Amino acid sequence: MRALFPKSLFPALMGLLAACAVASELRFPPPEFETDYTMPGITTPPPRSLAMEYVDTALLVTALGLAAWLVHRRRSRRGLVALSVFSLVYFGFIRTGCICPIGAPQNVALGMFDPGYTIPLTALAFFLVPLVFSLFWGRTFCAAVCPHGALQDLVLIKPVKVPLWIEQGLGIVPFIFLGLGILLAATGTAFIICRYDPFIPLFRMSGSVFGLTLGGIFLAAALFIGRPFCRFLCPYGALLRLGSIVSRKAVRITPDHCTQCRLCEHSCPFGAIREPVKLPVTPNALAPERRRLTWLILALPVLIAVGAWLGSKLSVAAAKVHPTVALAEQFLAGDKAPAPATALPTPETRALGRAAETAPELIAAASEVRRRLGIGGWWFGGWVGLVIGARLISLSLRPNRTDFEPDRGACYACGRCYLACPNERVRLGLITPAEAAALQAHAPVPRPDAKPS
Amino acid sequence: MTAPSLPSARADAALWRPLRATVWITACLAALAVLLLVVTHHRAHAHDPLKSPELAALKQRLLDEPRNEELKQQIRDLDLALRRSHSRLLNFYAFGRWLLLGSLVSFVLSAKAWGKLRARPPAPRLSPDAAERFTRLVRLARLTASTTALCTLIALTAIVVAATSPLPSAATDREKLLARLRGEEPEAPPLPPLAEFAANWPRFLGPSGNAFTPVAPEPLTFDAASGDGLLWKVSLSLPGFNSPIIWGNRVFLSGGDAARRSVAAFDLATGQRVWEQAVTGVPGSPAKAPEIPESTGFAASTMATDGLRVYAIFANGDLAAFTLDGRPVWSKHLGVPQNQYGHANSLAVWEGRVIVQLDQGDADAGLSKLIAFDGASGRVAWQVPRKVPESWASPIVVEAAGRAQIITLAGEFVIAHSAGDGAELWRVQELHGEIAPSPIFAGGFVLAVSPNDKLMAIQPDGLGDVTKTHVAWHADDGIPDVTSPVSNGELVFLVTSYGLLSCFDVSSGKKLWEHECDTDVHATPAVAGNRVYVLGGKGKVVVVEAAREFKELATFDLGEAIFASPAFREGRMVIRTAKSLLCVGTPPASASGGTSP
Amino acid sequence: MSHAAPNPSSVSRRQFLREGMRLAAMTGAGAFVGLSIGRTGARENYVWQIDPSKCVYCGNCATACVLKPSAVKCVQAYEICGYCDLCTGYFVPEPNALNTGAENQVCPTAAIERKFIEDPYYEYNIIESLCIGCAKCVEGCTRFGNGSFYLQVRHDRCVNCNECSIARVCAGDAFRRVPASNPYFLKTSAH
Repeated sequence: MRALFPKSLFPALMGLLAACAVASELRFPPPEFETDYTMPGITTPPPRSLAMEYVDTALLVTALGLAAWLVHRRRSRRGLVALSVFSLVYFGFIRTGCICPIGAPQNVALGMFDPGYTIPLTALAFFLVPLVFSLFWGRTFCAAVCPHGALQDLVLIKPVKVPLWIEQGLGIVPFIFLGLGILLAATGTAFIICRYDPFIPLFRMSGSVFGLTLGGIFLAAALFIGRPFCRFLCPYGALLRLGSIVSRKAVRITPDHCTQCRLCEHSCPFGAIREPVKLPVTPNALAPERRRLTWLILALPVLIAVGAWLGSKLSVAAAKVHPTVALAEQFLAGDKAPAPATALPTPETRALGRAAETAPELIAAASEVRRRLGIGGWWFGGWVGLVIGARLISLSLRPNRTDFEPDRGACYACGRCYLACPNERVRLGLITPAEAAALQAHAPVPRPDAKPS
Repeated sequence: MTAPSLPSARADAALWRPLRATVWITACLAALAVLLLVVTHHRAHAHDPLKSPELAALKQRLLDEPRNEELKQQIRDLDLALRRSHSRLLNFYAFGRWLLLGSLVSFVLSAKAWGKLRARPPAPRLSPDAAERFTRLVRLARLTASTTALCTLIALTAIVVAATSPLPSAATDREKLLARLRGEEPEAPPLPPLAEFAANWPRFLGPSGNAFTPVAPEPLTFDAASGDGLLWKVSLSLPGFNSPIIWGNRVFLSGGDAARRSVAAFDLATGQRVWEQAVTGVPGSPAKAPEIPESTGFAASTMATDGLRVYAIFANGDLAAFTLDGRPVWSKHLGVPQNQYGHANSLAVWEGRVIVQLDQGDADAGLSKLIAFDGASGRVAWQVPRKVPESWASPIVVEAAGRAQIITLAGEFVIAHSAGDGAELWRVQELHGEIAPSPIFAGGFVLAVSPNDKLMAIQPDGLGDVTKTHVAWHADDGIPDVTSPVSNGELVFLVTSYGLLSCFDVSSGKKLWEHECDTDVHATPAVAGNRVYVLGGKGKVVVVEAAREFKELATFDLGEAIFASPAFREGRMVIRTAKSLLCVGTPPASASGGTSP
Repeated sequence: MSHAAPNPSSVSRRQFLREGMRLAAMTGAGAFVGLSIGRTGARENYVWQIDPSKCVYCGNCATACVLKPSAVKCVQAYEICGYCDLCTGYFVPEPNALNTGAENQVCPTAAIERKFIEDPYYEYNIIESLCIGCAKCVEGCTRFGNGSFYLQVRHDRCVNCNECSIARVCAGDAFRRVPASNPYFLKTSAH
C-alpha cells in the first residue's frame, strides 16, 4: 500500500493536513515482512548512574574533610592547592557542574514549593553538607572543594587590592542574588543562579555566547582580582559566610601568639585580614555609635516593610522571566498576524501557534505564576530590606580584636597567610626563633615615603 | 621571606627571560585562540552551512525543472561541500577550545612562576592609629552599602513602574479575558439576524452584492441644487471614492488623504453628522503616507459592517474597527499594499469576521493573500496566500451549493474560498486585464466580468479547476471595464464607462436590450424595485425600468459628479457625490404608503 | 590570645552568642533534613527529556543546547515505523525521485540511512553522530507519517544542566524532568 501511495498526492495531503498539526499518528499499519528481517532495537544510553552520584557525594564529603584537616590541623597551603587542582579537574572539568552546591538552593526551593518536584537526595546533600561543614570549620568548601573557587584561586597571578569599603558596601549583592534566585526557583520561573553562572560554560568548554563571554570576563578579572565571583556575586558563598561567622573553628594566622609584626597583612589577596582594634578607653566615646546602632535597629523593621511592599509589586516584571508568562504576553500583545503561510515557520510562530490553541490554559497558568510571584515578592522584598538593614547594623558594630585575624565571614581559608607568619615558620622548623625575632624586629620599619594614615 | 630566596638568585636570573617569553607567547596564543573562535563563530553564524540559501534556491529550481540532471548534480555537489564545511566547523571548535585551554593553563603557570620571581618581600609599615582607620573604613563602607541599597531600591522601583503587561492583573479582568478566550462571551451581543442584514446596506453594493433593493425610493426625480426630492443634503469634506453603507439609522463612509484618514457616521433621518473618528496611531503604520495616485485615493475601498462594528480599510494598509457609535475597537497595519493604482478592494463581512482581499504586486511576488479577522478582537482568524497579482474587485460571500463561499476575482482567475477557513474551493481561469468589476451572485450563478471582454456565469458547486466544466454561459457584448454587474435575480444589467447600458437574461445569458445613456459612468448602477439607476460621472441620472423590455422612466441632471454607488434602506437612497452626501426620499409622514414595487 | 584578653566578659559573650547561633543553625539544618526526607522518599535524580506528544519541531533543540552539536537527537521507533517507500521524514515534499540523492533528502546532514529490506519496505536508521536534532525529519514523519521519528535527549551526551537551556525556549513546552531510572519516552506499537 505504501508503495502505491501516489507521489502526486503528497503535496495535496501536505496542504490538507497542515491545519491539524498534532494529528493522529500510526497512519500506516506496520509492515508484515516476508523475509526474515529482524527489527533493530532502539538504543537508550543511560544517564549518569545513581552510583556515580553517590560517589560524587562521598568525594564531596571526603574533600571537605580533607580541606578542614588541611586548613586547621595541617595548616598547609600546598595541600590546599593540590586539593584545589583535584576539585577543579574532577568537580569542574569531569563532572561539569550540575547540580553543584551554588545552584542547589534553587533545587531545594523548588522542591519545597513545587509538588511535582521532589528534591533528589544527592542534590540535598550537595546543598547541606558544605553548609554543615561551614558551621564547624568555616568556608572549607570555598577553600579547595568548590571548582569555581579553585579556578579563580589558581589563576590569580597578580592580586590588586580592592578597597575594603567597596567590598563591604557591595557585600549585600550576593544576598540579594540569593533571594532573587530562590524566589524565581520556588515559583518555578527560572534558575537564574545557574543561568548566570560564569564558570560552568568554561568547565564544559561549550555554551552560549553570553555564558562564555561572561566566563571569559570573570576569568580575566580573576587574574588580577582575588575571587571576583566568590566575593561579589556567589549566592551560596553568602550562606557559607553566615555559617562561617558562627563556626566552631576559625582560621588562625599564627600557631600560638601574635607578635603584631604585620607580615601577614599583605599575604591575603581577598582583603580578609583585619588588624587589631581596641575599644576606646572611655565608654563615653562610644555614645554616638550606640545612638546610630539604636536608630538602625529601629529602622530595620521599616526597611523590611518597605522592601516587602516594593517586592510585592514586582510580580508583573518578574513573571516575564517565566516562559509561559512570556508566551502568554506575547500572544495577548502579539495580535501580530501569524506569518503568512508561505513563510517558513519559526520557533516563535510555532510557540504562538501553540498559544493560540491552548490560550485559556496558558493564560490561567501564567496568572497562577504571577500570583505566586506576588506572594513570593513579599518575602523577597522583605529579605532585601533585612539584608540592607543587617549590613548597616553590622557596619556599626565595633569589634574587639587584639591580634591580626581573618574576618570570619570573608576568609576563604585558602591558607596563604600561614607561611607569612614568622611564628609559623619557626613551628615548621623553616627558621630559628632567633631569625624570627630578627625578622620581626626588622619588619615594621617605616619606609621614608610612608605617610601615617 | 628574603632569606630563603637568596641562594637561588642566580638560577632565578637565568629563568627570568625564558619565563617572561613563555608568558607572552602563551598569552598571545590564548588571545589568538579566542580570536579564531570568535571569528569562526561569527562567520558560521552569518553563513550557517546547514541553512545555505543557495542550496534552497537550487532545490526550488529543481521543482520547476525536475528533469534537469545537471542541476541535480549541482545540488549534490553543493550539499556535500556544505556538509563537509559543517563537519570542519565542528572539528575546529573542538580543536580551538583545547588550544585555548592548553595555552591558558601554560599562561597561568608561567605567569605565576614569573610573578614569584618578581615578588618583593613585604615591607609592612608602622601604622599605629588602627582605631581611626577602622572608623573611617566603616563610615565609607556604610556609605557604599547605603548607596548600593539605594541603587537596588531605585532599580526595583524602576522595574515595578516600567513593567506593563497585556496579561490583566485584576481577577475580574482575567476572568473576562479567559471567558472571551474560551469563546463564552457573556457580554458580547450576538450578531444581528440575517434578515436584519438583508434589510440594511451593510457593504459595497448592498447585502447580496447585487446592488439590489426591493423598494424603490420616491420621488423618481430629484435635484441637488434646489433640493427637490431630497430629504437632506450635507456637504462632505472627506475625500474618497468609496460608497456609503447603511446600518439602522446610520450612514457610514470613510475618507482620507496623505495627511489624515477618518471614518464618519451620519444620521439617516436628518443627515446630521453624528461622529467622525480619525484612524491614527495604528501600530506599524508608516508615519509618512505612501504615494497613492489621486485617481483612486486613500479611501477607495467601501466600508462594511456586521451590525456591531464598522470596518474601514485605507490604501496605506490601515484597517480599523469602530463601534456603531464611534468608539475605536481595534486597528492594525497590514503593510502598504503594493498596488499601482492604490488598494481599492472593498471589505466583506461574514459571521462576525471581516474579510480582506489583499491582492497586491505580481503573481510571482507571493504577496497577495485573503485574510479573515475576528471582528471583535482583530485577531487573524485565518489567512491564505494567493498566487495572483493586484486586483481591484471586491469579494462577496455567498451561500451556494451548501457552503459559504468567498468569491474573489484577480488576475486570470475567479477563485472561491471556503468562508470558514479560507481553503480554496474552485477556480476558473478565464479573466484578462486589470480586474476592477466585482463578482455578483444571481440566479444561482456567480457572474464575473472580464473587463471589455466578456460576462460569464459559473455554477458554484465545483471543486478544483472548473474552467472547462462549470461555466454555464458567457456574453461578449457591452462588457464594462470598471463598473460591476447588477441584478435583481432575473435580469443582469451592465453599464460601460461610456454609458452603454445592456440587459441580459441571467439564466441563459441572452442579451435582451441595450440603451445608450450618453454619459460617462464611473459608479456601478443600482436596481431598486423596478428601476435601474445609472449615475453618470458628470451628474446625469438615467432611470430605466428593470424589465425584459426597455423603457426609460426618467433622465435628469443631478448637478454634481458621482463616482460612488448609492446605498438604500427602506425606500431611501443615499448618494455620495463629489462634494456632498444626499438622501432621496419623502418625509416620514407620507413615506409609509408612498412606495410601490 | 589568653594573655591579651582585655575584656573577658565581652569575649565570652560573643563566644556564647556564636555557640547559640550555631546550635540554632544545626537544629534548623536537622529539621530541614528531616522535613525534606520525610517529604521526598525519592532517592532518584532527574534528567531532562522531551515529551514527543508536545514537540512542535521548532528547531530550537539544534540551536539552544549548551553543547554543539546538541545533546538532542532524532531516534527511530522501529516498532511503529511504516517502512514506507515514500518516507515523509526522509524525503522533501514533492521529491524529485525516491532515491538517496541529496536533492530529495530533508535531512541537512544526511544523517538518515535508507536501506532496502524487501519490496516495498525500506528501513530508515538515524546516524547519531551526524544528527544535529533539527527536527526536520520529525516534522515530516509526525505530520504525515506514523511519527516514528521523534526527538529525545540522548543521555550519553546530555550534561544534565540544572536548568536546561533548551527547555527555557522550547516552543512546545515539551521538556520536563523525568526520573533518571526511566529516562526516555519510548514509542511502541502499544502506544
